[in-house]
Amino acid sequence: MSIPPTCMAAQQGDVDELFDVKNAYYIGSYQQCINEAQKVKPSAPEKETERDMFLYRAYIAQRKYAVVLDDIKGNSPPELQAVKMLAEYLSSDSKRDAIVADLDQKMARSVDASNTTFLLMAASIYYHEMNTDAALRTLHQGESLECMAMTIQVLLSLDRVDLARKELKKMQEQDEDATLTQLATAWVNIAVGGEKLQDAYYIFQEMSDKYSSTLLLLNGQAACYMAQNKWEEAEGVLQEALDKDSSHPETLINLIVLTQHMGKAPEVTNRYLSQLKDAHRAHPFLKDYLAKENEFDRLVMQYAPIATA
Amino acid sequence: MLTKFETKSARVKGLSFHPKRPWVLASLHNGVIQLWDYRMCTLIDKFDEHDGPVRGIDFHKQQPLFVSGGDDYKIKVWNYKLRRCLFTLLGHLDYIRTTFFHHEYPWILSASDDQTIRIWNWQSRTCVCVLTGHNHYVMCAQFHPAEDLVVSASLDQTVRVWDISGLRKKNLSPGSVETDVRGISGVDLFGASDAVVKHVLEGHDRGVNWAAFHPTMPLIVSGADDRQVKIWRMNESKAWELDTCRGHYNNVSCAVFHPRQELILSNSEDKSIRVWDMSKRTGVQTFRRDHDRFWVLGAHPNLNLFAAGHDSGMIVFKLERERPAYAVHGNMLYYVKDRFLRQLDFNSSKDTAVMQLRSGSKFPVFSMSYNPAENAVLLCTRATNLENSTYDLYSIPKESDSQNPDAPEGKRSSGLTAVWVARNRFAVLDRMHSLLIKNLKNEIVKKVQVPSCEEIFYAGTGSLLLRDADGVTLFDVQQKRSLATVKIAKVKYVVWSSDTSHVALLAKHAIMICNRKLESLCNIHENIRVKSGAWEESGVFIYTTSNHIKYALTSGDHGIIRTLDLPIYVTRVRGNSVYCLDRECRPRVLTIDPTEYRFKLALVNRKYDEVLHMVRNAKLVGQSIIAYLQKKGYPEVALHFVKDEKTRFSLALECGNIEVALEAAKALDERSCWERLGEAALLQGHHQVVEMCYQRTKNFDKLTFLYLITGNLAKLRKMMKIAEIRKDMSGHYQAALYLGDVSERVRILKNCGQKSLAYLTAATHGLDEEAEALKETFDPEKDTVPEVDPNAQLLQPSPPINPLDTNWPLLTVSKGFFEGAIAAKDGFMDAQEGLGEEGGIKEEGGGWEVEEDLDLPPELDIPAGAGGGAEDGFFVPPTKGMSPAQMWCNNSQLPVDHILAGSFETAMRLLHDQVGVVSFIPYKALFMQTMSRGRTCYLGLPSLPCLRGHPQRNWKDCGAKQGLPAVGLRLSDLIARLQQCYQLTTSGRFEEAVERFRVILLSVPLLVVDNKQEIAEAQQLITICREYIVGLTMETERKKLPKETLDQQKRLCEVNICVVVIHTSVSFLKLIFLCVCFPYRWLFLISYHRVKSVPTIQTRKILSACEKTLTDAHQLNYDPHNPFDLCAASFVPLYRGRPVEKCPLSGACYCPTYKGQICRVTQVGRDSGPPCTTPVNLKSSS
Repeated sequence: MSIPPTCMAAQQGDVDELFDVKNAYYIGSYQQCINEAQKVKPSAPEKETERDMFLYRAYIAQRKYAVVLDDIKGNSPPELQAVKMLAEYLSSDSKRDAIVADLDQKMARSVDASNTTFLLMAASIYYHEMNTDAALRTLHQGESLECMAMTIQVLLSLDRVDLARKELKKMQEQDEDATLTQLATAWVNIAVGGEKLQDAYYIFQEMSDKYSSTLLLLNGQAACYMAQNKWEEAEGVLQEALDKDSSHPETLINLIVLTQHMGKAPEVTNRYLSQLKDAHRAHPFLKDYLAKENEFDRLVMQYAPIATA
Repeated sequence: MLTKFETKSARVKGLSFHPKRPWVLASLHNGVIQLWDYRMCTLIDKFDEHDGPVRGIDFHKQQPLFVSGGDDYKIKVWNYKLRRCLFTLLGHLDYIRTTFFHHEYPWILSASDDQTIRIWNWQSRTCVCVLTGHNHYVMCAQFHPAEDLVVSASLDQTVRVWDISGLRKKNLSPGSVETDVRGISGVDLFGASDAVVKHVLEGHDRGVNWAAFHPTMPLIVSGADDRQVKIWRMNESKAWELDTCRGHYNNVSCAVFHPRQELILSNSEDKSIRVWDMSKRTGVQTFRRDHDRFWVLGAHPNLNLFAAGHDSGMIVFKLERERPAYAVHGNMLYYVKDRFLRQLDFNSSKDTAVMQLRSGSKFPVFSMSYNPAENAVLLCTRATNLENSTYDLYSIPKESDSQNPDAPEGKRSSGLTAVWVARNRFAVLDRMHSLLIKNLKNEIVKKVQVPSCEEIFYAGTGSLLLRDADGVTLFDVQQKRSLATVKIAKVKYVVWSSDTSHVALLAKHAIMICNRKLESLCNIHENIRVKSGAWEESGVFIYTTSNHIKYALTSGDHGIIRTLDLPIYVTRVRGNSVYCLDRECRPRVLTIDPTEYRFKLALVNRKYDEVLHMVRNAKLVGQSIIAYLQKKGYPEVALHFVKDEKTRFSLALECGNIEVALEAAKALDERSCWERLGEAALLQGHHQVVEMCYQRTKNFDKLTFLYLITGNLAKLRKMMKIAEIRKDMSGHYQAALYLGDVSERVRILKNCGQKSLAYLTAATHGLDEEAEALKETFDPEKDTVPEVDPNAQLLQPSPPINPLDTNWPLLTVSKGFFEGAIAAKDGFMDAQEGLGEEGGIKEEGGGWEVEEDLDLPPELDIPAGAGGGAEDGFFVPPTKGMSPAQMWCNNSQLPVDHILAGSFETAMRLLHDQVGVVSFIPYKALFMQTMSRGRTCYLGLPSLPCLRGHPQRNWKDCGAKQGLPAVGLRLSDLIARLQQCYQLTTSGRFEEAVERFRVILLSVPLLVVDNKQEIAEAQQLITICREYIVGLTMETERKKLPKETLDQQKRLCEVNICVVVIHTSVSFLKLIFLCVCFPYRWLFLISYHRVKSVPTIQTRKILSACEKTLTDAHQLNYDPHNPFDLCAASFVPLYRGRPVEKCPLSGACYCPTYKGQICRVTQVGRDSGPPCTTPVNLKSSS
């Protein structure tokens, strides 16, 4: 790619040199994010830190925690330390409580609100802990687009679509065309449902047209389709996702939904479920599933005495 | 006005278009006549025989002729095929101004400064008529295109219309031979009687330079030195002036009607061409030149083309673009025709008008951009003055009547170009050349600073291609920055492949193919104008020039597919079909032969199986393909095409295929071939072939040496013999030396008179006898016996350990595809199979390190961390909202909705209350499965737990609160599953079958159906399942029952009857067996009756046997005459009217003794549940 020197100068002001890196990360194209990050030559040290942040976060998203843990040293900038904290949290079950306790302490002290990365990482951990209050409180201190996007996600998980829309409006005021704003619009649209589902679909579709189709975008499209009861269309999209990664948990969950709705034999559905159990034992879906099984057994007991009486 | 072609020459005084070929004749002031191809832009021929200016020129409509008239008073008739003047007509006494052929008769009409108009017969080469009457120079005379009329213009300020019907009658009536003979003398005798003046049109007040008929209407247009263009109308009796077009400010030299539109074109010495509207008589367009006065105009008889001659050459031009505006999406073509937007379905070729466009612009639609998501179009209209260009945004109506389509209100704004950049955004290049982004309401959303640009093109979502003076830039609208630039001048059109991985940039004479990142892949130059293009499915770009359909591969290979008569605009290419629009906006389909480009594509993509298939099956021969293959480095492929042995030989050598080369060499049997083959074979260590080559070329030296190095002593000795016979001393000696045969060497040396050498050899090698014998022959006087060197060494070749009889071992190189394919025809199957197994993807370890699910009840939430308290003052975390799942529970009383919502407790209560389920264990799998399809997943930010979607069956109109989950269980699916159960039953796997039937039965209460009929079907489904379950369990029970006692046998028999009665699919033969064992006549009869099977001979026999036993031996609990239900627990018949307990879910009946127990059929329900109408849920019941 060659950029004419004239427009380089004209655009220097508002061009984000890390655009490709960030964009790839947000749409879930992690390897590309890593590639871009290794390619790009930042103009300033703070940009370099930002790039590394995305680089390591992409590694985390790929669940390659060791890379992050090994690479980030004690003398790395505080932003990267925050990323390392998340990697530590995600990498081992045993240390989680300690990390959260440590994080609580840090949050109790005054927090440098300009370290957005720290806020994001802290909120991510709280969110994983299902401590949505703490997550929202943390995110509230940040003003970046990503903080808002994460706020929206937390709000949606709390089924507060009304608040999510308000937050989205703020994002749109800040930068309507930003990838994150677009994605957040899609999430909110899915939650709102109805006619908005098609809009959400188009957002995912446009992004995969423009950049590349990723598991994140494909599952988004599938969710839109399924919400519109377009099962056949959803099948095509999910098949594509399955081709990309045959053990991607969200794809499998969606297939569990889809195969049933398409009236496939129960064995087909069970196969996906077993696959999920096999590869992603700790996935929230399965935890929920097990919890529901236990609940079922408990409830059966309530009826049992009546039957024998 | 669009200039298509320009020439530079001396002043052009006359012009004529060829009616079919892309040719135009120009007669020049310097006496030369030029024949131009305006499409190829080349001068085809020059005819230089006139002396002085040539003013009259005209092509014949059918024959390869043209006529010219000049200031040398000569009319010349030429044949352009023979490239010479056929003859000259003499008679005029002054300059000749115009010459025209008659469209039908063999006549030429000439106008001259000698004040006469003459009609000549070019077959008899005589003047047949002289029209006199003008009293000044006659500047122009033309035949009427249909009638026997001539119009002439003269400097005497009149335009005259002549009637020549008399001449036609005289010359072409049946007895015309006579009059022909009379020839010119007739003119003398009768004066102008053959042609009479019909009308004299007076009105110009200066000399008239040109007059012409309208092609269809009774109109005449004339141009004169009074700077006016006049339109005249005539009828049988009179002619009158209709109107005058004023505007030229110097002498009007020529004026013509537009052949198809209501327009007049005129040109003048004021250096302008003007276009006039015929009905309004106003100027529409003016085209000016700086320095050249215009002299003549010509209109093409069929095409929308004109030519104008001026002081320094001529121009060929058309008034407006003929390219239809169109856009392709999927299988749909949208195009504009006659103020309508039309839609063509490529598959069904259904062509409908979908919308009427708002009128108002006099210019045709220039380009179109279609938005499939919103079904909206942007139509851009270019004005002559670019700054006045506009675009319209229309939303296409969903339903439309093709005969009388809607005319929706569009939104019009000014702007050069408008294209979609996203589903709800489009970009407009405004007249200040800045870029605006607008939304669907046509409101400006933002302004984008762009590098200088004069045109914008679509480039996928969020991007645009910007064209500036010398390149095209890919611009990201979101990031507001240029991503890439490629240099190519004046791109006119941009064609993206359907997956937008490639783009073709079309300029006037060039095509560049780039990838998504705008990196140039190939560059093609065309001599003829590039018109349009489309991507074929396999990634070949098919494009058209003015006269060809061509292809281009992204690798740069390109070639002609077929020729075209007229330009077309390709819209889509599928297989052999090229879909296109022609200049009349008619959709057409042309067929092409795609073999060549497919072949090349397969080669480029290394799809050798395809290549081979084509090689074997397609008619792909010819030098060009062979040359192509050779050039591109595929000699092994070329080998397949070649029959000619010589080419075969060199190709085989090129790809190192010795076997094929050997074959070819044998066929050719030429010395040079053998030599070349020998060399090649030697390089490969193929020494057997080398040997053969040396033998064939009689290259004894090399052959000898070959035998030496391969250790083939026998043949080496033979070679020595041959050398001896051939008297080749040196060869002979050499061979002896190689063999270490000393005595032979001595003999050779002796024979050739080298006595001393022979002696030395013998002495050195210790052949003493020989040496002595030789020594004696020495003449002591003359010869001296040479001293034997005491240090001399024996020169002996080491004996070969192992003669080399096989070829030199070669490295095992995998055989090229084509060699392999020749060897084994299905060789490439393995390779394909190998490919198929690459699907395996590594399992990712670890799993998602996610602690908790999002939707756990709030009470389980870990309380907020201590840190949270500090900020409480200004941030209050929101409480949890109501999830769609909760709403489902609120909105519905259907158990399935509650299960989908994950609320098992309420679901169970509902099932319990509605259908009396008490034991839920068999429901577990169903519950879990149903629950798992209630919610989908989508990913928010990376590394965070996913968000959950909630598919709803009433998503279209439920709003925020009225949602109900999508059920995902259909009656039809359950019915389909019955089939499986039936199969299990027939194959005798009863327990499995019962299990499945039960699942189906249990699923029924989880159905949501649409109408009464489906309720009935569902109930029927329950009945079927129930009966099968009862029947099958009974059969299983029966097998377990002991047969020892009579009572037991009775019981067994009862069970059997019931089996038969309830479930007729149980094997009939088994029953017969039973009948034989328990000869109860009625039993058989009943079973026979119920099964309704055709009695076989065997059954008849049994029947008769039963008849003989006459009475029932034992009393059974069975009354054949009373209708009954069967107790599903004890399998005892329950006759009508007796007390019965029914399961509310399955409807199974039980003896009252079983009251309060779990239903045996469903294994979930209690048979004393509360009364309930139906277990099936109607949708409306929610």
